Amino acid sequence: MKYPKKCFAFILLAAIAAVSLRLPQLDARPMHTDEAVNALKFAELLQKGSYRYDPNEHHGPTLNYLTLIPARLSNAHSLSDINEMTLRIVPVFFAILLILLLLMLADGLGQAAAVIAAVLTAVSPAFVFYSRYYIHEMLLVCFTFGAITSGYRYTRNRNFKWAILTGVFLGLMHTTKETSVIAFASMLLALLLTLLMMCKKGASISDTLKKIKPSHLIVTIAAAVIVSVLFYTSFFKNPHGILDSAASYATYFNRGFGDSLHNHPWYYYLKLLIYSGFQQGPFWSEGLIVFLAVVGFIAVLTGKGIADVNIHLLRFIAFYTAVMTVLYSAIPYKTPWCMLSFLHGLILLAAIGAVVLTKLAPNVLPRLIICLMLIVAGLHLTWQACRAAYTYCADPANPYVYAHSTSDVVTIAGRLEQIARIVPGTRNMHIQVICPADDYWPLPWYLRGFANVGYFKYVDIDIPAAPVIIVSANLEDTLAEKLYELPPGKRSLYVPLFDRYMQLRPGVYLQTYITKDLQDTFEQYHP
Amino acid sequence: MELTAGNEIYKINTESPEIFCIKEFKNKMQTIRFSSRIKILAALLLALIFFVQSCKKTSPRSSPDKAQSGKDNTQTTTEVPPPRGLVPVPIELPNPMFVGTPQDFKVSNLEKPLGKPRPPFLAPPGTENAAFLKTVSGTDDMPIIGEIEMITDGDKQATDGSYVELGPFLQSVTIDLQAKYDIYAVLLWHYHQQARVYYDVIVQLADDPDFTTNIRTLFNNDRDNSSGLGIGSDMHYVETHEGKLIDAKGARARYVRLYSNGNSSNELNHYIEVEVFGKPAK
Repeated sequence: MKYPKKCFAFILLAAIAAVSLRLPQLDARPMHTDEAVNALKFAELLQKGSYRYDPNEHHGPTLNYLTLIPARLSNAHSLSDINEMTLRIVPVFFAILLILLLLMLADGLGQAAAVIAAVLTAVSPAFVFYSRYYIHEMLLVCFTFGAITSGYRYTRNRNFKWAILTGVFLGLMHTTKETSVIAFASMLLALLLTLLMMCKKGASISDTLKKIKPSHLIVTIAAAVIVSVLFYTSFFKNPHGILDSAASYATYFNRGFGDSLHNHPWYYYLKLLIYSGFQQGPFWSEGLIVFLAVVGFIAVLTGKGIADVNIHLLRFIAFYTAVMTVLYSAIPYKTPWCMLSFLHGLILLAAIGAVVLTKLAPNVLPRLIICLMLIVAGLHLTWQACRAAYTYCADPANPYVYAHSTSDVVTIAGRLEQIARIVPGTRNMHIQVICPADDYWPLPWYLRGFANVGYFKYVDIDIPAAPVIIVSANLEDTLAEKLYELPPGKRSLYVPLFDRYMQLRPGVYLQTYITKDLQDTFEQYHP
Repeated sequence: MELTAGNEIYKINTESPEIFCIKEFKNKMQTIRFSSRIKILAALLLALIFFVQSCKKTSPRSSPDKAQSGKDNTQTTTEVPPPRGLVPVPIELPNPMFVGTPQDFKVSNLEKPLGKPRPPFLAPPGTENAAFLKTVSGTDDMPIIGEIEMITDGDKQATDGSYVELGPFLQSVTIDLQAKYDIYAVLLWHYHQQARVYYDVIVQLADDPDFTTNIRTLFNNDRDNSSGLGIGSDMHYVETHEGKLIDAKGARARYVRLYSNGNSSNELNHYIEVEVFGKPAK
């Protein structure tokens, strides 16, 4: 595999641009509920060395195990040793790897298309935003693309190593997220459609399939199975994990097609990409990618403007992306980060589309105009990516901000930390968090520095009131009844810690109460 | 051990020598005639008792660890008496429960939930639901789910078969009360099977079905005039089983119209029930 120097340099530059867009201020955005849950699940692995796959929630084990690397490198041994950087560096790493993997596809995709795909992946607002998100999505996209690139490389030289690597990536996909089955199905269907297209052009499917050595196929499957078994069994500590991984599909099928809080219409993802606006906030669009992807899709199917590429690979990518887009749109359950799986395919097609557009231009001037327009549109994407990742990182005006915690959560935790630093003995004080339906995340992440925090679904009359109580606005009256039904002489006076209701997420209100004694002590130390 | 003196028998517990009263024993010894054997035996016993007693007294001092280890219960309880009969109870705090992705609400100007049941509203005696089984018309002639008549059928359940689903964009329903009423409140349920916020909720009263004369707006939370009916100052609210209660302040009207423009989950419009509380106008 040889890379022309220019292509290599440009993809490397794109990777550097991706790092510079993703790496700064990794702790700027408040932790999302899912991130905080993943963080505490990881902390169990870090502290106790135990992980057990849960077939009902929280996806596969790769995220947890791979986070051990930055944790060990930063000498972290417990929950209090880790921070946002330790966690979010993992998806950032795989986002960069995703770009670098394009080097393996440059000869099939075309060098110009590979470079454009690298640039678009680097600056796509959705990719930049979710690369800084401690969830499984970026890993899944990276492993999926790894499987495609390794598989493609195998078709080029029938090398045993590529067969193994393809299997490893397939196994990693399986152990990252249950939605990998959508990618598997899309790959299979795309492969079948590509073979049918080859058949139309006179090639024989059986002859093509015969080129794959059965031993290599067995090795690929074995590698995938070994990786999957290793992770799902928690490295043989939990053999039941294999059955759980199979059982999880029933859960996720019901969730995907059942009645859910996250059911959205079929056009949800496309609308999100083409145009989003919220009230007086700015408008957002990755319409350029969608438009160019349509151009690329048509070009690949018709063969117009396509030269010096592997047309079979392009067709595979086109079919794969189309099937993925249709499947993800058809499933009622939708969260915006799920679209990354097919958005990456759209980016590959968009890169092809951009090359085709410039090639189809009749002479130099229109070609220059198209190039200029593409550069301007690319800069617009970069600007939006900066806004998404920094200025609007937790603002509902950002279309990728979904069910996100507000900065109030950080304010609450910050004030309690301040009390703990100033007032002696408060590091171990009792804190009660009372929210119906366990809706208090990501507070467990932010209160990880406190030793005695209790989390309750309802106001428990039998539990003595703590000096600090964070309560859902829905339960405030019940709490007041509890606090003032105590016998005279035993009632502590509670005061609000903040002069307004804080919001866990938009529309989810919290009130924080502390005893007057603690408030007075705090003010004495910190007037 | 038993000690015999004449007809009397003395019982001496050698295991609990601290309860043995030496003075009393000596007095009794003077009055009783002991045989010489008994005297020797008694002397030996006395010596033994003193020896054991002295050993007992020194043992706690010589082995403090034993007392601290809690084997000597008396010692422990004497040193740390329980405060007024109370004992500290260790509180086991519940760990946080892992949850899935929460619901997304992208809604500005959202009113804070009441946190308790809504208090009953007061109205003159004889006030009733004037909308019950009254004629309803709407901008969507062919609802996606259900029938438009469901809006006033008295069924307020959120289950399938109890709500009508209208198409996307701005949609309205109009209830003809069939006579003029003094209206005190409008109570409406869009959909409360899950927490949702409906956009551009506008409730109007009028004297004619086309809403051209004497139009009064009771509620309007369209903050950006996306409905084209004017900017409202009311807040968005989360749908609950209690419904949204709107004060009509006794306005007199025959027609009630309700608008909505999609919701926080999708772009469709739903109605479970609308109740109009009033009295026939005199």
